[in-house]
Order: sequence, then C-alpha cells, then structure tokens
Amino acid sequence: MNAPVVVQGLTKTFYDESRGEIRAVDGIDFMCNEGEVFGLLGANGAGKTTTLRMLSTILTPSSGSATILGHDVVKDPQGVRKNLGFFSASTALYPRLTARETIEFFARINQYPSDRVKERVDYLVNRFGIAKYADVRVEKLSTGMKQKVSIARTVAHNPLMIIFDEPTVGLDVLNALEVLESIKELRSEGKTIIFATHIMSEAEKLCNRIAIVHGGRILACDTLDGLRAQTGHRYLEDIFVQYVKGQS
Amino acid sequence: MNWDVLKLLYIHEIKMLVRARRTVVMAIVIPAIIMPIMLFSARFSNEQRQRALEATTYNYAVTGQLADRVRELITSAKAEIDKDERESNDQLRKFKFIESPTSDPAASLERRDIYFYIATYTGEEADALPVTKADDESDDSPAVAALQPPKRLPGVPIIKVVYRGNNDASNSSSRRMVSLLRSGVRNDSERLLIERGFEGNPKGMFAVVETSIATAGQKTGANVGRFLTVILVMLMLTGGSIAAMDIIAGEKERGTIETLLTTAAARHEIVTAKQLAICSVALIITLIQGLNFFIYVKLQLVQLPKDFALQISTTSAITLLMLFIPLAATIAALLLTLSAYAKTYKEAQMYFFPVYLTSLVPALASVLPALRLRSAIVLVPLANVSVAVREIMMNRPDRPMIAVTFLVMTLCAALLMRASARMLSREEVIIASHGEPESFLGGPVLFQKRVLRWFAVMWAIVFAVAANIPQLATFRRQLLFNEFAIFGGGTVLMLWVYRLRLKEALALRSVKWPVWIAILIAAPTGNLMGVAVFKLLNYVIPIPEQAVEQMAALMPQDLPSWQLYLFLGLIPGVVEELAFRGVLLHGLRRKIRPVLLPLVVGLIFGLFHFSLFRIGPTAFLGVLLTAIAMLTGSVFPGMLLHILNNSFAAWTAQNGWSVTSLEPGHDVAATIIFALAMWIIYRNRTPYPLN
Repeated sequence: MNAPVVVQGLTKTFYDESRGEIRAVDGIDFMCNEGEVFGLLGANGAGKTTTLRMLSTILTPSSGSATILGHDVVKDPQGVRKNLGFFSASTALYPRLTARETIEFFARINQYPSDRVKERVDYLVNRFGIAKYADVRVEKLSTGMKQKVSIARTVAHNPLMIIFDEPTVGLDVLNALEVLESIKELRSEGKTIIFATHIMSEAEKLCNRIAIVHGGRILACDTLDGLRAQTGHRYLEDIFVQYVKGQS
Repeated sequence: MNWDVLKLLYIHEIKMLVRARRTVVMAIVIPAIIMPIMLFSARFSNEQRQRALEATTYNYAVTGQLADRVRELITSAKAEIDKDERESNDQLRKFKFIESPTSDPAASLERRDIYFYIATYTGEEADALPVTKADDESDDSPAVAALQPPKRLPGVPIIKVVYRGNNDASNSSSRRMVSLLRSGVRNDSERLLIERGFEGNPKGMFAVVETSIATAGQKTGANVGRFLTVILVMLMLTGGSIAAMDIIAGEKERGTIETLLTTAAARHEIVTAKQLAICSVALIITLIQGLNFFIYVKLQLVQLPKDFALQISTTSAITLLMLFIPLAATIAALLLTLSAYAKTYKEAQMYFFPVYLTSLVPALASVLPALRLRSAIVLVPLANVSVAVREIMMNRPDRPMIAVTFLVMTLCAALLMRASARMLSREEVIIASHGEPESFLGGPVLFQKRVLRWFAVMWAIVFAVAANIPQLATFRRQLLFNEFAIFGGGTVLMLWVYRLRLKEALALRSVKWPVWIAILIAAPTGNLMGVAVFKLLNYVIPIPEQAVEQMAALMPQDLPSWQLYLFLGLIPGVVEELAFRGVLLHGLRRKIRPVLLPLVVGLIFGLFHFSLFRIGPTAFLGVLLTAIAMLTGSVFPGMLLHILNNSFAAWTAQNGWSVTSLEPGHDVAATIIFALAMWIIYRNRTPYPLN
C-alpha cells in the first residue's frame, strides 16, 4: 500500500468521571491518495479533531493503526511530524514572534535544510501576501493576518502531507475565502491534504473525496458524485442529513 | 538528542522570556528596584526613629518610700555615664529624661502623660508582694542564670520600671532607664565595698575574657554555610518560577503548546530546552541578586558584622559549584514539572507557594547542629546539599559523601526532568477535561501506576515516625509499628483499595522441593555475603565508629531468645516479604524490565533501612530475595531465607561471634556455596508471571 495516509481500525477512548467511557473515535478506516484533498465532514463532537490529533501524534490511539507517508503514528511519531504540517483552530502562534520569525522558527524546528531556510521564508512571505507585516509581532496582527501566517508556518518545512482542522472557524467570509484559496493552491502543488470541516460548502468546493463522520465512525466515504449516486440527493447537506439520520 | 534543535529551542525560549514584559518586570526589574527601595526605606525610617527617640525628653515619675534614693541613683549613674566615653554608652549619654510629679502614675501612663514610671518598694513591702508568674518561671539554667540579675533575697528592696510595651517611645525609654538603674546599682555596690574596707578596685576582682581558636574566616564560613543553601534555593525558586510559569503553563494558556508538540522536535528536546532556559534565568537572577547585595554592602546600605571575613579556597569554591549546578538543575526541573502539571498560568502560580515552602524545609537542614552529611540525610535531595555546603564552608568537607550528594541531586534532577517530559506527553496537556484511563478503570491497572507512590508514603511515615514519636523509640515498639502498621497495613490497604487477587499479588505459589534445600544452604552464606558487601562498602565510604556502635545498639541486650528470633527473624521475614516481594514486585512487574526488577525492588527495600551504612547490605539482600522470588514465582522461599538470614544474624550477635572479622577466603567460600544454592533454584525454577 503506497497511499500517503492509511488508517485502520483507529479507535480513541476517553475516560470521564461524569460520563464514563467515551469512544470519541470508534474503529475508523480510510486511505488518502497522493495529491488529493480528503474531507472529514461531521458535526461538532463527531470525532474529526480527535482523529486528526491521533494522525498528528498528539494523541495516542487506544487501538488500531495509522501511517503517514509510511511512518507509524505510534512507533515513529517524530518521522510523522517531520513530514506533516498540522493546522487547527487550537494551534496558536507565538504572540511575541514576528511573522517572519514564526515561519523561520517552524522551518528550522521541522528540520528544513538550514541553508535554504531564508529563501523559503522569503518565498512564503511573498506567496501568502504577508510582506507588509512580516516584521510585526504576531500579537499585533488581525485575525485574518494571523490565519495567513498560520498557514505559512504550517507549510514552512514544505511537508508532503498537510492536515487542516476547521481552518475557517471564526473567520469572516473574505478571510475564509482566502484560506480556502490557499488550500486549493497547495492541492495544485501536489500536496496531500486532510481537511476537516462541518461546513458543507467548503467540503463541496475543496474535497476530492469526503468521509461523513458521526459518533466517531465513518458512515460513508466517496467522491461527491459517488455520494450523490448512493443517496439520490444533489446537495451535500441532504446527503449528510440522510446518513446521520439513518444512523440515529 | 538533536543538538541543533535543542539550541534552536533554547534560544527560542530565552527570546520568548526576554520579550515578555511580565517576565522581565517580575524577574529582573522588580527585584533590582525593590531591594534598594526596601533597604533605603528601612534605613531612612530607622534613622528617623533614632533621631526622634534621641530628640525626645522623656517624662517619668517615681513613687514609693525609696523615691529619693532612686533619684540619687539615677543622677549619680547619669553622671558616671556622661564621663564614660565608650561608644557602647552612646545611647545612654544621649538619653534625656525629666521627672513629672504625679499623684497617680499608673493613670498618667495610661493617659500617655508620662512614658514610664518607677515604683519603689522597701524590703518589707517587696516581701509582701505576690509572686508573679514571670518571677516564678524564671529560667534557672546555668547559662541563662549567669546573664540574669541575681534572684531577690528576702528583705531586698525592689525598683520596678512600669511602661507600655506597645508604645515604641515608652518601650525604648524604659529600657534605657533600666540600663541606667542597673549601672547605678552596680556603681553603688562597688562604692559600698570600698566604704566597707575592700582593698583594691572592685571592678578589677575578676577579668573574664574569652577567646576562640577559630579564625574570623572559619567563623564567617560556619555562619554563612548555615544559610547559604536556603538563600540560594529561595533566590533560584523565585527567579526560576517566573520563567517556569511562562514556559509551559503560559504556553498552554496561549495555545502554543499544541503547535509546538506537532513539530518534529522530540518531547525530551523540548523539555531539555525549557529546563535549560529556566536554569539560565534562575542563575541570572541569583547572580543579579548577589550583585545587588554586593553593591549594597559597598554602598553601606547593608552592614556586615565587624569580623566578617569570608575565605573560600579554590578547591572549596569548585566543590560548591559542583553542588550548586545539580541544585539549580533540580530546582529548574521541579519548577518545570510544576508548570507542566498545571493547566493554566494561574493554576501554576497557585501551586508555587506550597512547593516553595516545602522546598525550603530540607534546605534548612544545615541549621540543625548535630546533622552530619555522613548519615541518611545524604539521600535527601536539597537537605544533603544544605549540610554539605555547611561542612565545606566550615572547612570540613567529606569528599565521598559530597560525591554521593552530587549523584543523588543529579539523579533527582533527571527523574524530575523525565516526569516533565512525561507530563508533556500526557493527553491532558491538550484535552484538559479527560482523566487518565487508569484512574477511571481503577483496580489492578491503577495499582501498577500508583505502587511507587504507596511505598514513598510508607517510607516517609517510617522516616518521620522513627525520628519524632518518642513513644515508639524502643526497639520492640518501633519494630511492631513498622512491620504491622506500615508494611502489613500498607499491604492490606493496597490489596483492598485496588481489589488485587491475593494469590497473584502476594505470589502465594508452591515451589519444587529442591528449592527448599537450596534455601537452607543459602541462608547462612547469604548473610555472610551481606557482611562482605558491608566490608566492601567500608572501602568506598569509611564507616565511622559512631555508626558501628549505633548498629550494635540496634540489637537489644535484654530480650529473651525467643523474642529476639520472633522480632528480628519471623516477623520481618514474613511481613516484609509480603510487602516487598509480594505487592511491590507485583506492581512493578510490567513497569520495569525483568533484568532491572531485582535491582529496583532491592534498592527500595534497602532504602527502608535508614542508616546509610545498612542500605548497601540490605539492598543486596533485597536483590537476592527478589531474584529468588522471580525464579520461583513464589514469596515463600524468600520468606524462609529472610527469616533464617535475620535469625542467623541475631544468633551470631547473641553468641558474640563477629562475622565482620572473617577472612576474605571465607567470603569467597560463602559466595561459592550461595552460587550453588542459586544454581539449584535456577534448575528448579517456576518463573514469576510477568504478564
């Protein structure tokens, strides 16, 4: 299997004193093909973020396995992180670094060749249109500006695999569009992307294949056309509702 | 360890700290400003107070039949003092007072019309006065009695100075008046002696002089050594805490910890960089405070004692540095663990104060005069540095013990750093609302996680009780308390709390019959090998005579034989085996590699025998007993060996047979016989279930 992402029977169980045992992710399987945007579509609490945190090695799976570009998330977490860019609403930026310093720090710490770091930083600064405020501390930037810097730091080490977890949460329409455009550009560069969202339109626009996640399980996984053919619905929202209601 | 990543992370951490206004202000600016402000204010207010006290003319009253006599006494004493130009009499020379006649001096004092009054009583009046509590409970110890005025004999008049203790001026003026009166009484006595025909100068009856063989440098070293560690710990904790709070708890609050954890940096690299950053900040702040102090001394804002002469040789300075480096590393690691444990900056701040106070307690070990580094204290982190520093400063360094201190502190720092790295790997760092699965599941799974904590608590109780409860100071009581209340009680509690299966947890399994024969062979030889270890350790760390005497005193002389074997052999053999080779081994079996298990269990067993010089031999016995338990899968053979070993030791002691005097050849023979016994056990092994 040469797929960049292979997930098999991935499960994550949490223990909560008031609610007892919670299966946040319940034995999911999926694969991502090279250069595609794979969407994880689900409501809040469906298990998307937990899945992505396991893939990024922040959380350890309770059972099952996952490999990213051939690196096992449990056995070789550093190998995974070296080849992965992880972006989520909870991955904040260092407020006391400037935008340029941020990109440089993440390029270096992810072991991007040191002799090419400066060149890479300049490229990203220009590419994401942050040249004007590249030397301003992140704490003084607006939300939209910060989001651009965040994407730049995610790809600072030019990873082959990128995870975006709800990247447009809290953004206005224009900023959200800019973020989606950036992701499209990354796809066109041949990056493999996992994109988690609860916004149907974003999944429709961006994803080559979509997995509908609910209650920690994948209820369906196919291209948009495939899902349409399976359900007879045109809109993703109707498709999603049909699967989720069928489950409950 | 990727050194480039480590360097990058370290520079990043320092950059973050330097750019945080809160950190810079709290860690550098405030200490730099507050200290001089406090010193200036204290000096200013003290000078103002002195000036005000000296400028005041104090009103007072004198009452009683002997009032005129006292007035004369005051006048003559003042005249004498005014003539005496010694510096020590400055305060009394500047003391200005005037009598204010009053009919009711107590009411005047209450109304603050006067600062104090002097009540006089004739001998008869004084005898009729009720005995006050203060008179009755005066300290009669020879040292104190020498400094106190002699007890009043019947018929001797009293001059009583009455003042308001809660009023500075009243307090201060009355003390000066008392000094003046005492001086007057002394002058009077001398005059009377001369008048009654005493030949010569009464002042010159005895010349009491004192002299110390210690140099000023040694005296200063002894004084500074007592407090140096605690001051350093205070400075490092306060300085390092500001950085530590920001470095992990602050990151959690800002949400950057998840960003950092998704990078290619390994957890141990992140922790090491943070540790180094805290260490650097702690050392820099300590240096700034030291420099501050030096400047204040130079500016004479801080007055050092007149004979202050700190002399440290180069060797001592290097030795001190060798101790302070692991001390700083331990403190930084402690703060890092605290910061990693707390979910937010505020939570970390809340935990800091108790940790701060708790850390100061061992650091104050050096103020205990009888405590020597060559004792179990060498194994207590911070306390060992504190005592070692005092001994170095007093020019009495105990080099082997200093090396042990260095190792203990380094190990402590490493363990704390490992704990921090583990905390950063805990999922609660990211998902604060969820608990650890073991806590939820409870039972045997949680027991494996908590077993070391139980034994740490048991150790602390044994340590504290042995030292502090006089009722348990006798051999029998202490043994019964340790064996039944601590080891036995702890074992039962662990079995009950974690719902452990009795047979599995205590390794209650049968073994093949040749094992019993092997144990009978091993028992006396094991004891001889323990003695050989004791002798070998003596080469590394020479055992003082005092310790040997203390060990000999452990063996009670007045016990009947059956009690001796019961208390020394049977009870420890059964109870300690159930605790150490039972529950402890059961709890650690999956946590530690099989090859290390005997060493760890043996070492913990050794640590429960507090005397430093017993730890080695008992740890050695613990290793052997654990190895036997692992080979046989049962607690019973070890139990028999333990009982026989202790009973053999008791028998040799009772019959005056000194095993320490055996020749090396005997030791070798014992080792060979013991090895044979172990071989028999190995051939008939029924291994301990490790899964």
